[in-house]
Amino acid sequence: MANTAIHKATRRSLLDRYGYEERSAVLFLAPVMLVLMSVAVFPILYSFYLSFFRMKLTRPNNQPFIWFENYSDLLTNELFWVSVSRTVVFTLISVSAIAVIALLVALLLNQEFKGRRVLSTIILIPWAIPYVANALMWKWIYDSGYGALNGALYQLDFIDKYMVWLGDQDKTLPLIANAFVWKEVPLAAILLLVSLKAIPADLYQAARVDGATVWQRFIHITLPAMKPGFMLVMIYETMMAIRHFDLFFILTEGGPGDASHVLSWHIYVETFRNLSFGSGAAMSYLLALATFALSYFFIRTLGRRI
Amino acid sequence: MARISFENVNKNYANGFHAVKDLNLEIHDKEFLVLLGPSGCGKSTTLNMIAGLEEVSDGALRFDDQMVNYVPPHKRDVAMVFQSYALYPHKTVFDNIAFGLQMRKQPKSEIERRVRDAARKLEIEHLLDRRPGQLSGGQRQRVALGRAMVRDPAVFLMDEPLSNLDAALRISMRAEIKELHEAMQTTFVYVTHDQAEALTLADRIVVMRDGEVQQIGTSDDIYERPANTFVASFLGNPPINYIDGEIEVRGEAEAVFQHPSVTLTLPPEMARKLSGAQGRRVRLGIRAEDVDERGDGAEGHLIHGTVNSVLPVGSDQFLGMEFGGAELFFRVGKGMRHKNGEAIALTVDVNRLHVFDAETGASLLYD
Repeated sequence: MANTAIHKATRRSLLDRYGYEERSAVLFLAPVMLVLMSVAVFPILYSFYLSFFRMKLTRPNNQPFIWFENYSDLLTNELFWVSVSRTVVFTLISVSAIAVIALLVALLLNQEFKGRRVLSTIILIPWAIPYVANALMWKWIYDSGYGALNGALYQLDFIDKYMVWLGDQDKTLPLIANAFVWKEVPLAAILLLVSLKAIPADLYQAARVDGATVWQRFIHITLPAMKPGFMLVMIYETMMAIRHFDLFFILTEGGPGDASHVLSWHIYVETFRNLSFGSGAAMSYLLALATFALSYFFIRTLGRRI
Repeated sequence: MARISFENVNKNYANGFHAVKDLNLEIHDKEFLVLLGPSGCGKSTTLNMIAGLEEVSDGALRFDDQMVNYVPPHKRDVAMVFQSYALYPHKTVFDNIAFGLQMRKQPKSEIERRVRDAARKLEIEHLLDRRPGQLSGGQRQRVALGRAMVRDPAVFLMDEPLSNLDAALRISMRAEIKELHEAMQTTFVYVTHDQAEALTLADRIVVMRDGEVQQIGTSDDIYERPANTFVASFLGNPPINYIDGEIEVRGEAEAVFQHPSVTLTLPPEMARKLSGAQGRRVRLGIRAEDVDERGDGAEGHLIHGTVNSVLPVGSDQFLGMEFGGAELFFRVGKGMRHKNGEAIALTVDVNRLHVFDAETGASLLYD
């Protein structure tokens, strides 16, 4: 009897701790939380669970728990390391090109000139194109038989015969990066433009009175003020580049040879072509970890002085 | 040494806006000159032309005898304090103050010495390692002053430097800026829309409106002898009161101001100046403080009305008086006790009246 009374009192005080508004909030949020749990949180945790099994769909009855073997196997898997190096190269080319071109575009759009608004709109177009459509478009442009790139270079006498652009191992990654940059620059430029627009005009006036040249004003005022924008662009674009898949799937399928065999492609092949869900899941987790680590690095190095 | 002169200077913008119209002004060496006016009157544009941040569209701007129309800002030996302070947000206070010297490639030891010297004078030595974001408004203001001081410029330009500070700080910074001017012995050009700032700081005030100079003079000239109704209205708190009426000349040194509800006898000196103004429509100006609430003056010095409002402001009180369908505001002593709706008579100090042409608004007493 006494126990029940204590029990009731405790229950009431627990409920009382949250007011009416908090309790209603929990109630209203519960359905969407449930949906999120089932479509996002559960699959993420489940794939982590899978990464500890040797799970190959071709052998449905033999799926032993193998602890970290999927992870340790990767260390000796040559193709995995090739894919890591391809990913690093692709990311470096893409992100540095995006940063430089987006900066130039943002500086241009920050100037007052006739037709600025029209140009801003035109520049945004690639951003509005879906990734797959973008990939298909570049497949046509790079085509060895009727591609626009071959046509243009041939008519301008830069080449004397049509080239198989994507068949050249040295050119594949830069060409795919080019298609990626084309699509990503608009968003990056707009993000940088926002930082540029936020710089008060009188800082430049003060610097002019202080005797700073155009270049010194850029170095001492513009660049530091753009740091937050740059950080955002670097983190976002690095994450996009590391994980990018569509262009590799549509343009080259990892080829020629392993020239464009990036990590996301490697995971796809391992998971959906070799049907090795266990090791695919393990690699996905490594990719996610790498993405986190890089973001952390950017925030620490670029964000320190903001 | 810096004397600045504007000779028929105009500033036109590409969109057709005529910001400064035919400006003729001589700023003396070591003078504290205040450009005063409402926003959009051209005062900041004038300051920016001195700084070299705005081009002169037409006319000549000279420093001493050298024309500087095309001389870039950093070659003019000017320093400027901005309304927003314009401190470089990512640089420390030290680097903010040092920036101008660094750009001028001064030796490091010299920069160090001058920055510390300026910081000591402004009492911000302990803030040198901080960034502007970590400072209060008043501290930022001091850093902005330090940045200008450290360069030891020939001309010190200030664009509403106190308008972002709270009222108490504004008054103490005003005193400091005045001291700074005395200590630095250089030419100061100061832009403000605040009459109190202008009156307390300036050796001379230039009142501007719509790009045109309305009056140039000492605080006394501007307040006591306003050239037109605009200048008279712009200074004074509460603002000057106007009553429209006519001048009636009654003799060589005798004249009265006539209004259906009041007749005021003008003093002989004023009457003499108005001897040719018989029957002229005028606008009479009475400053808020130029009345005596005892109302025991002679006939011809009295103004009758009804109390509309009594607003105590601490040191004294503002009295709103209904007169001839309009409301006049006067500043009266604290001891006066009146109720709304009460009929009162105030004695006008006729020696301090202002008489303006009813149409043009120009003073009929002073040029």
